[in-house]
Amino acid sequence: MMFPNLFSPLKIGTVEVKNRISFQPHLTNFAVDCLPSERHMYYWGERAKGGAGLIITEEMSVHPTDRAYEKLIDVYHAEVLPGFKKITDYVHQYDTKIFAQVNHNGQQCDGMISRLPVWAPSPVPDILFRETPKEMEPEDIEEVARYFHRSAIHVREGGFDGIEIQFGHSSLARQFLSPLTNHRSDEFGGSLENRMRAPLKFISAVRKAVGNDFTLGIRMCADEMIPGGLDLGQVQEIGAIFEASGLIDFMDLSIATFYNLYLVEGSMHTPLGYTIPLAAGMREKLKLPVFCTGRINDPVMAEKVLAAGQADMIGMCRGLICDPFLPKKAFEGRMDDIRYCVADNQGCIGRMGVNKLLGCIQNPAVGLEKEWGEGTLEKAAVKKKVFVVGGGPGGMWAAKMAGRRGHNVTLFDRNEALGGQILTAMKGSGRDEFGVIIRNEKEQVTKAGAQVKLGVEVTTEQVLAEKPDVVIIATGSQPKQYPVGGADGPSVYNVWQVLNGQAQVGEKVCLIDYDGHHRATSTAEFLADQGKTVHIITSSLFVGAELGPTQDLYLSRQRLLKKGVSFTPDIAVMEVGGETGAKNIKGFNVYNNVWDEWGPFDSIVLAMGQKSDDSLYTSLKGKVPELYRIGDSVAPRKVDMAIWEGHKIGREI
Amino acid sequence: MHNNKLDILVLLRETSDPRPPARVTTRGAAISDRGLRRVPNPADLAALEEALLLKDNLGARVTVLAIGPERLDDTIRLAFSMGADRGIRFWDHGLEGSDAVADARVLARITKILVPDLVCTGSRMADRGDEPVPALAAAAVGMPCISAAVSFTPKNEWVEAERKSDRGARQTVSAPFPCTVLFEEVRDPRYPSIEAVTQSLNVPIETWDLAQLGLPFWEIGAAGAYLAVADYGVPRPDPVRVVTPDPKLPAFERILSLLSGGIKAREGKLNTLSLDDTAAGILRIFSEEGLLVERA
Repeated sequence: MMFPNLFSPLKIGTVEVKNRISFQPHLTNFAVDCLPSERHMYYWGERAKGGAGLIITEEMSVHPTDRAYEKLIDVYHAEVLPGFKKITDYVHQYDTKIFAQVNHNGQQCDGMISRLPVWAPSPVPDILFRETPKEMEPEDIEEVARYFHRSAIHVREGGFDGIEIQFGHSSLARQFLSPLTNHRSDEFGGSLENRMRAPLKFISAVRKAVGNDFTLGIRMCADEMIPGGLDLGQVQEIGAIFEASGLIDFMDLSIATFYNLYLVEGSMHTPLGYTIPLAAGMREKLKLPVFCTGRINDPVMAEKVLAAGQADMIGMCRGLICDPFLPKKAFEGRMDDIRYCVADNQGCIGRMGVNKLLGCIQNPAVGLEKEWGEGTLEKAAVKKKVFVVGGGPGGMWAAKMAGRRGHNVTLFDRNEALGGQILTAMKGSGRDEFGVIIRNEKEQVTKAGAQVKLGVEVTTEQVLAEKPDVVIIATGSQPKQYPVGGADGPSVYNVWQVLNGQAQVGEKVCLIDYDGHHRATSTAEFLADQGKTVHIITSSLFVGAELGPTQDLYLSRQRLLKKGVSFTPDIAVMEVGGETGAKNIKGFNVYNNVWDEWGPFDSIVLAMGQKSDDSLYTSLKGKVPELYRIGDSVAPRKVDMAIWEGHKIGREI
Repeated sequence: MHNNKLDILVLLRETSDPRPPARVTTRGAAISDRGLRRVPNPADLAALEEALLLKDNLGARVTVLAIGPERLDDTIRLAFSMGADRGIRFWDHGLEGSDAVADARVLARITKILVPDLVCTGSRMADRGDEPVPALAAAAVGMPCISAAVSFTPKNEWVEAERKSDRGARQTVSAPFPCTVLFEEVRDPRYPSIEAVTQSLNVPIETWDLAQLGLPFWEIGAAGAYLAVADYGVPRPDPVRVVTPDPKLPAFERILSLLSGGIKAREGKLNTLSLDDTAAGILRIFSEEGLLVERA
């Protein structure tokens, strides 16, 4: 056994969990009419099937004023019970325990959805929701405690093994505990004892409802990481008091608030296991089992954390969204087959941030476990000869899925290595981990029985001569050649040329950002890292306009500023180039339409969009029995769609 | 001291090498046998060595006693090869589930039967430290007991021993015969010659059972124990100290310390190199990570 600590059982309260992997609470947007749905059941069931010892559900709303997101489960309604029973029964058949998380979000709520005033300890608006809340009256606190009580009864009756109360980054309880959000002068504010009064009321209400023979824990914010907020020292003290109260059985941890949401859901730029110091700090002071969550996406690291005694339970969230079967594969020692999360955040947090169903760039089956989960792939009725042209993420997925279904698959790529555009994208500053996507799929393609031919430029004649039944075009896209006037001039390059080292970039560089995504910002950083002076001109309100939902924006801008990159927003660039040394960028402000010029720059780098590479598709159209195209060769988008379409076509042919 | 020849009883116990990590069995209340290395308790061997030195210098009769199943015969044969005169192994299945008091009854009974001038054994067990059984047995028999002895001199009618005292001090105590001395691990046991080892294989080992002791079964083992094992487990390890962000620092500096102090991200660097360059590159990474030690 490679991971003796990871796969040792742990007693949490009255429950024995078979291993130390917990699928942590996170929003899914799967609720229908504020009730648990079938989608939930299959989603959590898949993770249970995959071997996670414990599942903690998404936050469930305990009170009508708590409506932070449209699609939350209203656990205070008794109508949730049938759905709960289905979910817990389904999960229990895989010997996995499931806890429910209940929460009131307090100020971190949206009155626009509930059409009710937002409740909070003090009338302090949240940074994200920006709504001034109503200062809760003592009766309101009693009412929320009553609703916690009622909700907890539903949780126990619904067949859950335990209950977790959210005291973390987004919760009313934390707002009471933190001097940042609690400005009250009555018995619920001021001293630590007073600030703990309401949270303790909530815990006791829940304990009273579930009884002493039921596991109850809290998810505590270990450090708010904001001036004037709670820090680890204070939280250690608070945690010790909660432990001494004897009301809780475990201590799950989170970090930060909405002021610094990028710490809650650390992106690729945050180090792996970045919260371990906090978990270890809490565990030093507590005897309760302590959970650690935060970019621990692989079993080796999890084992190290457990062996070092820095946590008792490893929380994995994105790691198991990306690969539900990670625990099982680790248990069986099939490390090659694990699909590691790269914390790109576009599919999970990125989609949550814009109120879409949960997804994953690397796992198209998220939320569609019933249709696409483990065991749904059927062998093809007719074995076909399949050509997949282009070994990017889309092409690899198409070849993998088709190969698994028994087709005779050949995957071609013009480069000497699989990966397609990822090979370029991973060269951007801090984007190295993006390359793990290639590692995740490369082996699987050959394991699925597909033949890989590298360094082959597939031609129409070749395809027609070999007579395949199916041709899947996944030839991707390339930077637009002439996106703006003067783009063909000297010292004007696109991001690909820069990242691949094909450009002689001068000292003073201007990057035109029409992309708003990593393509622009990581290239700017890449250049700044080489000691160049970089200026970014963008047509958006700000540089990195697309980076908000994935929580990359804050740190990206911080790094860019630190590296001396300067910004000019709101400019539609109409012309670049001209003589070197002249004011060679011309454009106008998109709001007041005033023209201006920028320069001189030594080099200009364009991040102004991609163009589909569809030449092979066009020339093959009508000449082969089945012709499909996927990913960027249809329309230049992002990696999630390439993988989605590759997966889909692989299932359908 | 009768006829000028000491009669020494040495208790040899078995312990497990504390170095390899032990694992608790999932269900039962015990340490899993897997990977466990059973060894004679080093302090007991040091006591045996002390007894054998007395035999060499003054002439004494050394009897070794082991309480346990058949595998302990090996320990007794080791004692024979080192120079012990008589070996006794006592075992009864009823001893299982026992506690220190019940065990001490057995040892006290054997002491009463053998009537030695000296009972010697180690002061502590290598794996768990203190072991009160010999001292309790001494009390039951009414013998003096010198614990943590580092050196030992028999006088005519009494023994003098130096033993560990507070704060590293040494204390010299004396006690009349018969007496129990518990030795610290201060002497290296002698290394038996191959002839001695061969000869030891032919020396008969006396095996005693409960009937020979004349102890009622309700006084030993689980039946005679006062303690009941309720729960068994390994205490959770203390966290390996990682630097936690100093709460006194401003929040933004705490964030920086978290973001810079973590474990390095997995890198997806892709190199297309020749075979030799790849091999050299891998070697370089291995030696940077400390996985390879260059041979001088």
